[in-house]
Amino acid sequence: MSNVSRDRLLLAVAIILAGIYLFPLYWMYITTIKSGSEMFATPPTFWPTDPQWQIFGNVWQSRNMGRYIWNSLAIACGAVCVITVLGVGCAYVLARYRNIWVDIGLFLILMLQVLPASLMVTPIFVGFSQIGLLNYPRLAVILAIAAKSMPFFVVLVRATFMSVPQELEEAALVDGNSRVGAFFNIVLPLARNGILVSAILIFMQAFGEFVYSKSMIQAVELQPASVGLNSFMGPNTNEWNNIMAYAAIYVTPILAIFVLLQRRIVSGLTSGALK
Amino acid sequence: MKRFLSSMIDGRGFDIGLVSLPLAFLLTLSGLPLLYNIVMSFQEVDMFSLGSFWRPFVGLKNYRDLFAQPETWPILANTATFVAASIAGQFLVGFGLALFFWTSFPGASWLRGLFLVSWVMPGLVVGAIWNWILSGDFGVLNFILRETGLIDGNIFWRSDPGFSLWAVIIANIWLGTSFNMILLSVGLSAIPRDLYEASELDGANVWQRFWTITLPMMRSSIGAIMALGLIFTLQQFDLFAAITSGGPNNASNVTQYWAWDLSFRQYDFAKGATISVIMIAFVMVASVVYVRSTRHEVRG
Repeated sequence: MSNVSRDRLLLAVAIILAGIYLFPLYWMYITTIKSGSEMFATPPTFWPTDPQWQIFGNVWQSRNMGRYIWNSLAIACGAVCVITVLGVGCAYVLARYRNIWVDIGLFLILMLQVLPASLMVTPIFVGFSQIGLLNYPRLAVILAIAAKSMPFFVVLVRATFMSVPQELEEAALVDGNSRVGAFFNIVLPLARNGILVSAILIFMQAFGEFVYSKSMIQAVELQPASVGLNSFMGPNTNEWNNIMAYAAIYVTPILAIFVLLQRRIVSGLTSGALK
Repeated sequence: MKRFLSSMIDGRGFDIGLVSLPLAFLLTLSGLPLLYNIVMSFQEVDMFSLGSFWRPFVGLKNYRDLFAQPETWPILANTATFVAASIAGQFLVGFGLALFFWTSFPGASWLRGLFLVSWVMPGLVVGAIWNWILSGDFGVLNFILRETGLIDGNIFWRSDPGFSLWAVIIANIWLGTSFNMILLSVGLSAIPRDLYEASELDGANVWQRFWTITLPMMRSSIGAIMALGLIFTLQQFDLFAAITSGGPNNASNVTQYWAWDLSFRQYDFAKGATISVIMIAFVMVASVVYVRSTRHEVRG
């Protein structure tokens, strides 16, 4: 077999595999634009005969999605801000030195990374309610998410700082920069891309966060979109086209960001997580 | 004061300041709750004593009560099944895909990266989609299985106690496969190609090369991925909330969902804390294994 036809065959198989894997996503979008009766047809239709485009607007209106998405955005932005401001410096120091204290710090951070949110939410909830933080539920959720995701961010950004040559920073110090000046003028600009990609990953995680929001935010006006989706899905629901429309509106921005930045995200993730 | 300031701008103080603030934040918001959790598991906590730190101390009563409950052991068994089946499924599918995409052809890395969408999607959205796919009468999975002749009648994935746990496992395998695949691809690409050329000259076939080169060279990546898989499956909560809510009658309940359910549905915070302590201790052991297996890489 010649090389070209081998490549084509492999590519075809790869596309089929990807198609099978991504079928759930396709099914979400297709169900969205099906009419109520077509949705429950047997055998199911794999291409809608009568696409219902107005469903997006209807669901947006009737479920008050603007408010939910706004809350999700507020929570995710808040968490990303806290994590970036605190995490970048931490990652920088952990990348720059290699001694016993750095090892201990790294070990602590890796251990804190593995704590499951659904198990930590009990003490966090009780503690927050005792110090009155639950009166500001979105702030409480932001702090809880920040504590949960910061270790992951530090591990990713640390890998970025490791790839910045230390000689550049030393040269800046010789030229009369202070440590602060060298950090902000030399090291940060060089690590900018890695920090940005890690922040986007954290943003995506926080945008879809569920456990903390569900447990700590009682007021409907302050709940994010994940909690809204959960309350939309009752036990015996049959509005699947509406639910899928909700899910599609919620997830499409994330998918768009991901497809645009795919290469960077994948390489950032692989360099930090395992290497 | 001046020395302190100049140290903050230009010396050791700068590093210590940068690292101590986030560590203090983490210890306050993760470390303290961890300790508080242990304290609560030895206390009697109800709605009235929720507001005060000094609650009646009850010793090991919460632990004894917990293991006296009839549902405890089935739920622990469910957790074991969930973890084992999820890790096995994610790893096998992920490894197969990683091996396939390892053969270089144009577009391979782009298509491979596309698989990661499952990983960046909100867990609740994934749960909602699978809830609909797995639905009993109108679910598309039942349709496909019927058409291919694998089953005769519809499987009621979410409401049949024999299948509800597997419904969540299927969704979780889908969710985690891509992550396994990407990390295994990283491991595969680190194997030197000349090993394969040498063994090909020696006349080894594809299977022999896989068993004698690929698997042994991947040992540390596989160990790390197994440990990570354990950590991630024990964190999985959203799929349970979105697909089965632990039902019917705890048939698909696992400890991480049960702990939340006890605290926030039944308001039994002491029991929730108790089961959390047990599971967190377990996760900690797993993560020590993980950290040890990646220590060389982490130190860089």
